[in-house]
Amino acid sequence: MSSYMNGGSCVGEFCNAGWSEVLTNMSPYGWGSFGLAFGLSLSVIGAAWGIFLTGSSLVGAAVKAPRIRSKNLISVIFCEATAIYGVIMAIVLNGLMKKPEGGVEDGAFVEGWNWGAMYFAGYGVFSAGLSVGLTNVASGIAVGVAGSSCALADAQDPSLFVKILIVEIFASALGIFGIIVGIIQSNNCQFPYDVA
Amino acid sequence: SGPCRPTPSPCFRLFLAPFFSQEDAPTMSYGPTLPSVGGISTFNIAHGFVESLVRGMRNSFLKDSDYHHLTQCDTLDDCKMNLGETDLGLALQNMAAISPPLVQRAAIGKLSEEFLYLRSQSVEPLSTFLDFIQHEYMIDNIMLLLKGTLSGRDINDLISLAHPLGLFKESTMRSIPTFESSPKGYADLYQCVLVDTPVGLYFSKFLAESAQALGSAGEVRNVLEEVEIEIIKASLQKFWLEDFYAFCEKLGGDTAEIMCEILRTRADTHAINVTLNSFGTALNEPSIRASDRRRLYPSIGHLYPHGTALLATVGDADQLGAVVSQFSQYAPAWQVHTSGEGKSIDDAFYERDVAALELAFEGQCHFAPFYSYVKLKEQEIRNLVWITECVLQGQKGSVNEFVPIFSQHAPWRVKAQGRR
Repeated sequence: MSSYMNGGSCVGEFCNAGWSEVLTNMSPYGWGSFGLAFGLSLSVIGAAWGIFLTGSSLVGAAVKAPRIRSKNLISVIFCEATAIYGVIMAIVLNGLMKKPEGGVEDGAFVEGWNWGAMYFAGYGVFSAGLSVGLTNVASGIAVGVAGSSCALADAQDPSLFVKILIVEIFASALGIFGIIVGIIQSNNCQFPYDVA
Repeated sequence: SGPCRPTPSPCFRLFLAPFFSQEDAPTMSYGPTLPSVGGISTFNIAHGFVESLVRGMRNSFLKDSDYHHLTQCDTLDDCKMNLGETDLGLALQNMAAISPPLVQRAAIGKLSEEFLYLRSQSVEPLSTFLDFIQHEYMIDNIMLLLKGTLSGRDINDLISLAHPLGLFKESTMRSIPTFESSPKGYADLYQCVLVDTPVGLYFSKFLAESAQALGSAGEVRNVLEEVEIEIIKASLQKFWLEDFYAFCEKLGGDTAEIMCEILRTRADTHAINVTLNSFGTALNEPSIRASDRRRLYPSIGHLYPHGTALLATVGDADQLGAVVSQFSQYAPAWQVHTSGEGKSIDDAFYERDVAALELAFEGQCHFAPFYSYVKLKEQEIRNLVWITECVLQGQKGSVNEFVPIFSQHAPWRVKAQGRR
């Protein structure tokens, strides 16, 4: 079905009048679901990256200095926390995604459907997912590198452990920023599911 | 239809490039493509475990307190008791009594075990890097076997004296002394035996170089035969240094930065030692200096090209001193050599090497700790042999003339920090 707005000259079968038409024709539910997916998967990528960075050093350093084994698992736990932020965000966002049961008839939205809320929610959930996901990638890698150095330093000199742990705490705070902003942002998002 | 190889987008370069190998021209003793070493966020994928192993092994160096106790010993039994509490204790516990050569064998054996464990856990490009470290000892073993036959020693003795880090197949080692010590003999040795070994490449370059020299002279140089073994060794070491340097440069990053500097100073040490050892031998003849001795200087290093050109003209110790003193990083070493305190330039070079090698452990995510660990352990073994020899001979005065490792009281550290 050809389409053009503002008297444009496009006469092909599939024409878009511009980016606005491309973007508005992408379903907000698609945006929302992708946000959820990105939030979870990027968080897990960050956590996994951090865990293998710190875990490989921890395993090797513990060969010659077995006493560091238990203490340095904290680094792995910090990395795991970033994955948990991703899961929390995914569950929160999933709770916001609502099927538009009451508002659809014969494959089209009915009169009085709250388009504004739907689009706002779609973009909001997508961005909340990205907020969490990308910050957790950064946080996971940072905790991983710091944790790797922490294990090696602890193997040489036990007094260094707590000092380097403070670096890791600051690094894992980055993930908390992401989830805080994500939750605040997604609070305003409400997918309509019925005509009021 | 696009290009066969996708052009790297910024996204690829940022996130994925560390995982993909770089297309390089075929190089000396390794394949055309070299996996990337990786930066701080990707190094641990392939090398994290091995690097943390070698850093754990760093703990095993003898500390100031251990050296203090050792130097206070009066007999070798006291030494054995004190060493029993260190990392070396396990290796020595089965011996009834120790002696300097036994301590050396035990310590080298332990170092080899640890190194081969690291080698077995490593993947490319770290495994090639560790192979390069072993090539040096293979060259030493070949020279041991060649020299040993000239002086008529038994092949089994020689094999038992070989450095464990540079061992070939038993059959290969047994066949090395059967070749005659002449240019044709060496060519045969290469064709039949050494061509399959990792150091065959260096031997072939040596043969090419000496064939060129013989060809240009037009006749066999009889005068050189007596020093030919030394020339072979110096040439092989030169080719190994240059090959290793090229490899480290290709690895890039922190590894290249640290290793290339270490190898450059090593090349300079090699050049100065070749010159110093040539005094009083046929290699010092004026007609031969400029061609044969100059060929032994490596083409890497701070001294190359101007310093080595000057070194090629040097005829005695004073001239050598004049040349070496022109270079600010080697002038202090020469001053130690001529100061008359009983130290030679080798001692000064050892001290400087230890200071540089300790720095290799500073940063994470590069390969320099592996090389540094082997070299520092060698220095520790030299220290132990020195101390046990002094104790054995009762020379308490000179027992403290060793180079401390990772010590806060090392002379260069004290000087650098401006303390007394």
